Amino acid sequence: MTKIKLRAIEVSKTFGTGKDEVVAIEKLSFDVKENEFTVLVGPSGCGKSTFLYMVAGFEKPTDGRILLAGKPIQKPGPDRGFVFQEFVLYPWRTVLGNVTFGLEIAGLNKEEAKKTATRYIRMVGLEGFENKYPHTLSGGMKQRVGIARALAYDPEVLLMDEPFGALDAQTRKIMQRELEKIMEKTRKTVLFVTHSVIEAVYLADTIVVMTARPGRVKKIVEVNLPRPRSYTGKQYLAIRREVLNFLEEEVTKSQKLQKEQ
Amino acid sequence: MGHDQILIRRKLTSTFYFLLPFFCVFVIWELLVYLGIVRAKLIPSPSGIFLSLFEGIVLEHVLLTHLWQSLIRILLGFGLGTFLGTSLGILMGVEELIHKAFYPILSFLIPVPTLAWVPLLLIIFGIGDETVILAIFLGSFFPIVYNTMNGIRTIEKKEIWAAQSMGANRVTLFFDILIPGSMVSIITGLRLAIGYSWRALVGAEMLAAGISWGIGNMIYTARAFNDIQTMFVGLVVIAVGGFLMDRIIMDPLEKRTIEKWGMSKER
Repeated sequence: MTKIKLRAIEVSKTFGTGKDEVVAIEKLSFDVKENEFTVLVGPSGCGKSTFLYMVAGFEKPTDGRILLAGKPIQKPGPDRGFVFQEFVLYPWRTVLGNVTFGLEIAGLNKEEAKKTATRYIRMVGLEGFENKYPHTLSGGMKQRVGIARALAYDPEVLLMDEPFGALDAQTRKIMQRELEKIMEKTRKTVLFVTHSVIEAVYLADTIVVMTARPGRVKKIVEVNLPRPRSYTGKQYLAIRREVLNFLEEEVTKSQKLQKEQ
Repeated sequence: MGHDQILIRRKLTSTFYFLLPFFCVFVIWELLVYLGIVRAKLIPSPSGIFLSLFEGIVLEHVLLTHLWQSLIRILLGFGLGTFLGTSLGILMGVEELIHKAFYPILSFLIPVPTLAWVPLLLIIFGIGDETVILAIFLGSFFPIVYNTMNGIRTIEKKEIWAAQSMGANRVTLFFDILIPGSMVSIITGLRLAIGYSWRALVGAEMLAAGISWGIGNMIYTARAFNDIQTMFVGLVVIAVGGFLMDRIIMDPLEKRTIEKWGMSKER
């Protein structure tokens, strides 16, 4: 039995009050196992990013609890690394400076921070770009920095919010393969949010399909395929079809919901 | 051709194109005066102005003394405005309570022209440096407070989240995120403040007519003697002074920060 790293227990999130009240998430419960790659998929507006923000501690659940290694999450902290869709690199820091930031906060001296950061920069394939500023990098390279930055201070869980959503299709595929390789090396517990089923089935050990708003768990799909996976394998396509069917029902529902509003 | 040579050539070309319109205006102007279309008594020729400029600087040092007095006032006033302005702006940006306390007053005072304060300052502080320096301070203070505050308040929430998820405390957040993150806005405020400082300087020096030195004073006194040449010299000195202050203080600051970071808009 693998250990459970992250546990959501009947988590609800409501925005606004009175007439403007919107229930984004309602009694969402599922587990993320240690060293596993868990992907949250769902129609847009189902609250999957909101849930990730709550795991990160950026936002608080209205009801329910989220436990990290058995302890309830109170606030943001370096035991969780976060990768944003919009990269959110600091333009005033170089590639190296962005990656060492978390290490400096952790109290490492300059030399140690540089050594560790360089290792991760190499891992994401950005050797030679250490002293470049983010604005000189392409989108794919920026997100490589984002991933290196979140891994460098060695968090227990890596949270990724549609990390490849802002990239073009070609770069996206390359990044998916790269991420798979990096995860094989680091064996991190990952919680990954996307609305792309292609991406989900390619990367996940476990897929949590969410319902349309208010977000709940619709279905949990285990992906027991050997890695590296092929985007055209028979089993891969079968699982993709299965997940897509679950999702399509929910997308139809969410479109109806939008029309009513 | 070497890399440096190309850079030098580019620099020379851009300087040339910057100066060309001035040169054209001077030539046409000179001709108009020379041909008698414009009366030299009302509008002196550019060559006459430059001659006076030269005399004032090299031969009599009078102009230099005027300029020196004005520069000291502007640096003190602008320096004070920068220090207090960024301080209050940062506090208002960071602390909601301080924002609530100061913002109504601030938004009320921003539209008041700096010169409207001067008669009041004259009564309180009398005719002298204090009045002029405080006028410059008031002129620079408001744009700096407002822009600094805005810069901090409009920092992306996610930039703060990212730092918090790396374990940043309030002090780290302040120095590593809030300050560099609001640099674009702070620089805009300082740029505006330099312009306002010169306006306040000249205006206050004219109103505080009893003081005997300063560019504004020089122009105002020249009126009594119908000395149009000196008035024009004053105008040139003010224009060049404002331009140089921007180049000497702001350009290096911008190059070292937001330009290097890719945060300044393409010009």
